[in-house]
Formats: sequence, structure tokens, C-alpha cells
Amino acid sequence: MPVIHVFVKQVPDVSTLEYDPSSLGPRLEKATLRLGEVDLVALEAAVRIKERMGGEVVVISAGERVNELVLREALAIGGDRCFYVSDPRMAQADSWVTANVLAQLSLRAGKADLLLCGEASSDQGNYQLGPRLSEILGYPCITYATQLELSGEKLRVRRNLEDKVETFECGLPAIVSASLELAAPRLPSLLMIRAASRKPITRLEISALGLSDAMLESGIVRRSVRVTKTSRKNQVLKGDTGECAVKLIESLQKEGVLAI
Amino acid sequence: MKKALLIAEDISELSELRAVAAELDAVEVEAMGPEDLQNTPALERFGLTRLYTSTSWSEDPAESLGKMLAELISGSGAELVLGVSRKRLKDVFARAAQILKSPLLTDCLSATWSDGELVVERPTLGGGYVENLVVKKFPTLLALQQRGRQISDLSGKAPEVVRLEGKFSGVRAPRLISSEAVSRSGVDLAKSRIIVSVGRGFKRKEDLKLAEELAKLLGGELACSRPIASDMGWMPEDRHVGLSGKWVSPSLYLAIGISGQVQHMVGVRNSRIIVAVNNDPSAPIHREADYSVVADLYEFIPALVRELKARSARPSG
Ligand SMILES: Cc1cc2nc3c(=O)[nH]c(=O)nc-3n(C[C@H](O)[C@H](O)[C@H](O)COP(=O)(O)OP(=O)(O)OC[C@H]3O[C@@H](n4cnc5c(N)ncnc54)[C@H](O)[C@@H]3O)c2cc1C
Ligand SMILES: Nc1ncnc2c1ncn2[C@@H]1O[C@H](COP(=O)(O)O)[C@@H](O)[C@H]1O
Repeated sequence: MPVIHVFVKQVPDVSTLEYDPSSLGPRLEKATLRLGEVDLVALEAAVRIKERMGGEVVVISAGERVNELVLREALAIGGDRCFYVSDPRMAQADSWVTANVLAQLSLRAGKADLLLCGEASSDQGNYQLGPRLSEILGYPCITYATQLELSGEKLRVRRNLEDKVETFECGLPAIVSASLELAAPRLPSLLMIRAASRKPITRLEISALGLSDAMLESGIVRRSVRVTKTSRKNQVLKGDTGECAVKLIESLQKEGVLAI
Repeated sequence: MKKALLIAEDISELSELRAVAAELDAVEVEAMGPEDLQNTPALERFGLTRLYTSTSWSEDPAESLGKMLAELISGSGAELVLGVSRKRLKDVFARAAQILKSPLLTDCLSATWSDGELVVERPTLGGGYVENLVVKKFPTLLALQQRGRQISDLSGKAPEVVRLEGKFSGVRAPRLISSEAVSRSGVDLAKSRIIVSVGRGFKRKEDLKLAEELAKLLGGELACSRPIASDMGWMPEDRHVGLSGKWVSPSLYLAIGISGQVQHMVGVRNSRIIVAVNNDPSAPIHREADYSVVADLYEFIPALVRELKARSARPSG
């Protein structure tokens, strides 16, 4: 029965994130925290395998200030236990540091047959964890998965590139990074949420991971973040459909964007 | 900066990456790519000292290519490695970066030297924001968004061509079972002036005809949100607009049945006029549109089409 490690990141909900009108920076301190969109897709894929084959789903996470309540959502969806690191050093972590930390956390959490992560984190969108873990752990990795089947020890994965669709097979252990299209994440029921409160969560210190200073040294420094909103006219066209169509055409003609 | 290595799939990528290397004042520039790159006419105008070619670049698994690239980078002594941000390249770059203990920044909008520091701009937080990063470790790998930059001819000698042998056959990699080319529209949306874009507000594939007819009347191109291409497969991948798709800048972007999530809107922000047709008054796209029509697309689009047809039949005046 497969043991599956799923990597989920606690991120600000970008769909409700506000910015400070004077600095144009995001108001991260006010943001709602959630799990990454594609990370939840990866988790859903893992839970479906568990439902079919048995085994265990272990949730793994690292962040600068991790809130256990957010991690509990992953346990409510079907994770069995959770290992995480919460350390201010993660604030400046680049993909090198993140991969080093998460690889060690995964090893501490025990043997895994399948490691699942998202193709891109919802906040940073680096597209790197899967391939980097592959180099650290020496397992093959298939990125951008849109379909995944596990039968016995054989994994079959489809993925979409810009110009082709590829199907791969490989043995275990293996790493897969999920695309949004891999699975539609479920919403946990009240029963599952209640059950999650009893599932074990283990917090490890970064210093317990046996990582050298070099492995924790980020190659980048974040200088500034600013919003990219453009100002719009925000005119609402109301009335019956025919009138709206006329108003729209006339407005667009005035703007000079219609050839008609 | 001393030396840059460009990883290019084809000649247009090579030209774009060479332009960026020039902006970054690279003193020496080498390139790597598939074998037919060496047949490029007047290769000397790219001002390359060396061109590495690889027969296996298009076929080998990322597991071997990452190792090959890491060896090439450390062998060449390049400080900056540039490529165009495509899915497969990001995969290979991430592997090489991990082997070299290096940073990789993906989907970069720009890279410049400022007071002796390399500053990179890239989208963050779903695309609604741009972050400025300073690179502290070299070699550094940058996967850049394609912008259609071109070099003007650089004088120089023809590069020395070096063939790379694929020799990492022993790596553990997934077995490729099948590979099918997907249909592509071949249209360069980045150059379109008028774009009619469809989202999940459309219930069936056949209904896209409504938008097609509208696009034809307006002389525009059809585009879509990510789920229409990737989930439903109703449109080719190269028509999807947004963070993970095309970034467009038409004079008119008409979004029909699109909710306006940040990951979509980042791709259309540079449009001059944005029109939203969405029956949900609270859909976020209404806040980011110049003209909002709160209506059922199944009623509004036929009405709009009728009105446009009536006008084009009438002599203008
Ligand atoms: C890492 C990542 C990358 C992503 N990249 C992209 C990207 O590049 N591009 C992209 O588009 N998305 C991207 N997304 C997905 C994005 O978050 C949204 O899920 C997606 O844009 C939603 O598409 P939609 O607006 O077509 O569908 P929905 O959000 O479902 O919106 C459909 C809209 O249609 C309206 N509607 C329904 N019926 C009607 C009707 N009869 N008449 C009028 N209106 C109607 C509804 O009110 C609704 O607002 C990405 C997400 C992630 C996490
Ligand atoms: N700090 C983190 N903790 C847990 N999982 C992470 C973390 N960072 C990235 N991931 C996982 O790796 C995927 C790709 O992230 P990225 O490489 O940052 O784009 C995400 O979708 C997550 O599944």
C-alpha cells in the first residue's frame, strides 16, 4: 500500500489580497491564509489513490509563520498526518532553500513511494519544487501532470506541454507535479473536519534537519513588490439587451477601437 | 558581467536571448540548442563565440538534460544562463540549478544591472503584483518571458560549433510511452489588435460559435481562459490567455463569460480597452473593465451580433 507525501504551501489568498494605495505593496498582514490551489489538486490526487489502494497520505509544509489550522484543512481533505517547519528564515527562501528543507522534512517523515506537489506555488509560481526534489532524492519526476494512474508499482502520467501531450510510465518511488487539470479538489465535510482535529501534526525545527548553512542560503533577496493594476473606466451598461448592444458599439466607436 | 550562455530552441529565441544578453553587457556569449541551429544563415551576426549543438536536446528526458546543462554551465564558466520560459525548459533549468546550487528565476519580465547588482522583475502573487529581486549567487539561471525582442546585427565571427554528445543514458528517468502533437492555432495573439475571449460562462463547445461570429465581424481573434483550453479542450493551448498562457495587449479585449481571476487578468492588463460580459454583477472582472455588460451572454452576444450586422449593412454616415 503506497505511502504518499504531498507538499502543500500556506499562501495568502491572492483572489482577495488588497494593496496599500500609497506604497502599492500587498497587505500581507491582512491576507486570508489558505493552501495553494494546485497543491490542493495534488492532495486530491493522493487521497483518491488512498481511497482505491489504501496506504497513507502525509502532508508536508514549510513556511515563515505556519498556522496549524490551515494545515488541518489538508488533514480534513484526507491527509493522515503532517510534518512541518515554521521558521522566519523561510521568508527569504528561494527555490534552492525550499527544496533542501522540504526534501529533508520528507525524509524525516518516513519512506515515501510517491511524492506529489503542485506545478507552481500560488504565491511565487516558481515551477521548481518537483524537479529540484528529483535531483536531491534521485527519484524520477514527471512535471505538469494532467492525469495520473497508479497500478501496483507502476505509475502512468499524462502531461500537457505547450505543443504536445506526453504519456510517461515509471516505477516507484517517483515524484509528480500536478497541473490544475489533474483533479478537482473536494470540499471537506463537517465530519472530516472534526476527524482532522485528532490527526497528528509534527513540528520540526529547521536546525533538526541536518542542513548546512550553504543549503539554507538563499541566492536571491526580495527588494520590493508592487501591484500592477491599471486604472479602468468602470462604466456599467444597463438597460435592455438591444440598448446595451447599441451603447457598447457607440462607446467603442468613440474610443476608436472598432473598425466598423 | 563576463559571460552568458543562451539556451535556445530556435532562431527566434536565439535572437531574443541575444538581445537580452546585449542589454546585460555580456562580454562573451555562447549558445546551446538543437543541431539545426548551426544551419542558420549568417550566424556571425549573433556575435557568439561558441555554439553548442545537441542532437538529443529535443528528445532526452529532463533527468539527463539537467545534468548535461549543469556540466556545460560549469565547464563554460558562464555566470548568466538565459532561456525562454517554457514548461520543459523550466523543468531542465530547475534541475541544473539544483545541481549547481544556483538560483533559477522563472517567467522573468526583465533583468538589468543596477549599481553592480543584477535586478530581476517577475510576476508574483498570482500575477497581480511584480516583484523586484536581487540575485546574490552566480551562476544564475533566468527563464524569460518571450517578448519578441530581436537583436540588430552584431558584427563578429562565425561561432565555433561544438557538438555535445548525449552521455547520460544511465539516469533513472520515466519512460516516454507516447507523444502527440496538439493542434495549434498558430496565431500570435500577442500581435492581435482585437481579441474576443471566452470563458466557462459558455455551456457547450458548440456555443463558441457565437463568439466566433462576433470575432469575425469585429476582425478580431478568438482567445480563451485557461479552463476552456486545458480542462475542456475546446480551444488550442496557444489561445489561452493569462499567467500561464499568452500575455496580450490589444486595443480591444472583449471577455465573455470570464470571471476575471487575477491569473487571467495579468495576461490582459496591457489592453487599451477591456469589455466584460458577465451575468454575475459581483464577478471580479467588472472591477477591471472599461465597459461592463451585466447580462446573459446567450442573450447579449446575439443582440450585439445583430446590431453589428445591421450597421455594416447600412451605408455608414
Ligand atoms: C498557477 C495558476 C495559473 C493559472 N493560470 C491561468 C491562466 O493563464 N489563464 C486563466 O484564464 N486562468 C488561469 N488560472 C485559473 C484561474 O484562477 C481561474 O480559475 C480561471 O481563469 C477561471 O476561468 P473562467 O473565468 O473561464 O471560469 P469561471 O471562473 O468559472 O468563470 C465563469 C464566469 O462566467 C460567468 N457566466 C456564467 N454563465 C454566464 C452566462 N450565461 N452569461 C454571462 N456570464 C456567465 C460566471 O458569472 C463566471 O463569472 C490559473 C490558476 C493557477 C492556480
Ligand atoms: N514552502 C512550501 N511548503 C510546502 N510545499 C511547497 C512549498 N513551496 C512549494 N511547495 C510545493 O511545490 C509546488 C511548486 O512550488 P514552486 O516551485 O514554488 O512553484 C507547490 O505547488 C507546492 O506543492
